[in-house]
Amino acid sequence: MSAAHNDRIRLALSRGIASYRSNVNTALEKFPHSIQLAEEVRQIKAQSIIDMEKLAQQACEVIESNKGKAYIAKTAEDALELIGKLTGTGKLIVKGKSMTSEEIHVREYLEEKGNEVYETDLGEFIIQKLNSSPMHILSPAIHVPKEDVAELFSKITGEKLPPDDIGKMVETARKLLREKYFQADIGMSGANVVSADTGTLFLIENEGNINLATGAPPVHIALVGMEKLVPTLSDAFKVAEVTWRYANYTIPSYVSLISGPSKTGDIEKVITYGAHGPKEFHVIFLDDGRTKLAKNPVLRQALYCLRCGGCLYECPVFAVTAGKFGDKYFTGVGAVWAAIISESIEKAASIAYSCLMCGRCKERCPMEIDVPSMMIELKKYLVEGEGDTAAE
Amino acid sequence: MNLRANRTWKEYMSKKLIPPGLTYLANNIALSDNIIGAAKKEGAKWAKDLKFSSNNETIFFAGCGYQYSSELETLMSLIRSIDKSPINMEMTMNLAIFQRKLGLDLGGVYRKVMTRGGEADAQPLVSAVKVLNKIGIDLGYLGEEEPCCGGLLYYIGMHKEFNSHAKDVHNRLKAKGVREIISLVPSCTFTLKSLVPKGAGSDDITVRHFCEVVDENLYSLKLRLPERVKVTYHDPCQLSRSLGLIDEPRRILSAIENVELVEPAWTKGKFSTCCGGGGGFEAVFPELSQTLAVNRARELTETGPDIIVTQCPGCIMQIEGGLKELGIKNVPVLDLAQVVGMALEV
Repeated sequence: MSAAHNDRIRLALSRGIASYRSNVNTALEKFPHSIQLAEEVRQIKAQSIIDMEKLAQQACEVIESNKGKAYIAKTAEDALELIGKLTGTGKLIVKGKSMTSEEIHVREYLEEKGNEVYETDLGEFIIQKLNSSPMHILSPAIHVPKEDVAELFSKITGEKLPPDDIGKMVETARKLLREKYFQADIGMSGANVVSADTGTLFLIENEGNINLATGAPPVHIALVGMEKLVPTLSDAFKVAEVTWRYANYTIPSYVSLISGPSKTGDIEKVITYGAHGPKEFHVIFLDDGRTKLAKNPVLRQALYCLRCGGCLYECPVFAVTAGKFGDKYFTGVGAVWAAIISESIEKAASIAYSCLMCGRCKERCPMEIDVPSMMIELKKYLVEGEGDTAAE
Repeated sequence: MNLRANRTWKEYMSKKLIPPGLTYLANNIALSDNIIGAAKKEGAKWAKDLKFSSNNETIFFAGCGYQYSSELETLMSLIRSIDKSPINMEMTMNLAIFQRKLGLDLGGVYRKVMTRGGEADAQPLVSAVKVLNKIGIDLGYLGEEEPCCGGLLYYIGMHKEFNSHAKDVHNRLKAKGVREIISLVPSCTFTLKSLVPKGAGSDDITVRHFCEVVDENLYSLKLRLPERVKVTYHDPCQLSRSLGLIDEPRRILSAIENVELVEPAWTKGKFSTCCGGGGGFEAVFPELSQTLAVNRARELTETGPDIIVTQCPGCIMQIEGGLKELGIKNVPVLDLAQVVGMALEV
């Protein structure tokens, strides 16, 4: 790629950074209790990570009693196999954006199995159509300037789009995806946080695509990392609010709370499933190394991450390399993920030794995840081996 | 030292997980007791015209950064000129890039470095000592016997080596009768204050940064520059975020008559932007490090300063490099110690 192309990507990123900072400041000024709330959430997360396996068991039982189906997948392969069994082949599948699903490559797996899969988040949709990979956990297409989007959509629709009319681009995506929600056999999502006591999935979004993808098709399958579990519904509300606030929103347009399949008792009080929403509701809790990571007292901070994406806007290296500074996840948390979850030591080394350890991410992080300390611990692990870094 | 330096270096190189640029610097600590691998007497040259106390109860810790800064700068510019591997968005940052640097002729670079260099870059050290003398501190200096703090070993993950180095550092300081250290380089200060005590298992030496000492004595100092200057301040990461020294340098600058402090709206204090040299990054990705330096230099010069003040040899080198890339020639980058020295006319 040319230097000019790199410059444009950096321009797109610097626009994103400036607007993030101004928005997050506004959000925190409007809701000053967020800072106190973040402190509370930090404690909730710290305890929940320790209790992760217990919470997953509890959530599974509750979801089953809500007439959903729940599973714990020990590995990525187990999760994919399960998803494969639930979906079969030749299906039309609409997906909400999910980093966990990116982590284990669900879309690629389903496509290989002969399904037609649509990413419905605008950023993810752009990424899917560009055959690229996400460069930011919340704004996956942050590195794609509007001119490139116009060109891409012009190619798909065969209709020339003006390079600066973002409204027109959004409208095009809406048109392209509209009917897919209602034709789809299956809708897939992740979750931002899950309360174990009620088995409730919290899905935060602005576009409305998750609402449609999880509401319209007859089957909803959710893939959720075990680190997303917290004990109670009220804990989950706190986690959700802190997540969107630090993701630079005063309030997102939509928060879906899903605890079971669609049902009605309106005819003679006979509970019947699959009224207007999905008749089947499946939740897969993914371990894939998370319980192992939870045992390391320093590195387990990576599991506190709410995926608000704030740190990425503060990272000087990310500002010029975007998602190239990472693996499944980006920057410091990405290095830990690469080492422990993906067990890719070389990838972990390359991220860890690319970290400036400047610590600005920690200042922004609502969970105060100490990336420099994690990087030092990780490097020790790389140099001296696992022995010295094992559990307390 | 119980480290067999050459063997250690090769061992780590063979694992291929630590970037060669960093193992090279680590090896220098083991072999020469400074990160640049220079002879110790080269480092101590800056102090030859200064008078120090024979009592080492309170010592000035000069650190590698400024003592060898001219060598370091030459080394970096040579690494930059040799290693043209482009880093851009499309190239995933990966080990292949580190490994390509194995081909770097570090020995050759080193020899070139040693035939160059000078003492001009050690000016912040001279100023700091003169300022501390003016404050009235009975200050010793270990000269050639000053140990390298070894912080780099810790930061790159060689903790066993760091711990044994830390014990050695602590013993050598104790043997000299040191009870208090006043240090200038942020990373040495943090290492001596927080990491060495942990590694050595003893925290009986007090460590303070130069700016803390000046700040405590501000009331007794008359600080004035001959003409009005706009100053912007760049926080070194280790000083602001690790040591929490954010208000001190600003109080000092604001106390200088004729100084107008102008700062970036957002990227200051605990949200200051790294110069691009953190974590040894300049030795791993020199080209990308330069891009970060340019970004930071741009943020700082947008405030319209006459001078940029910071407190770290690495930051100075990076920001100067960034300004050069931007074609900005008339904005000097100075250590706070130099500015205080000028304001005290020492």
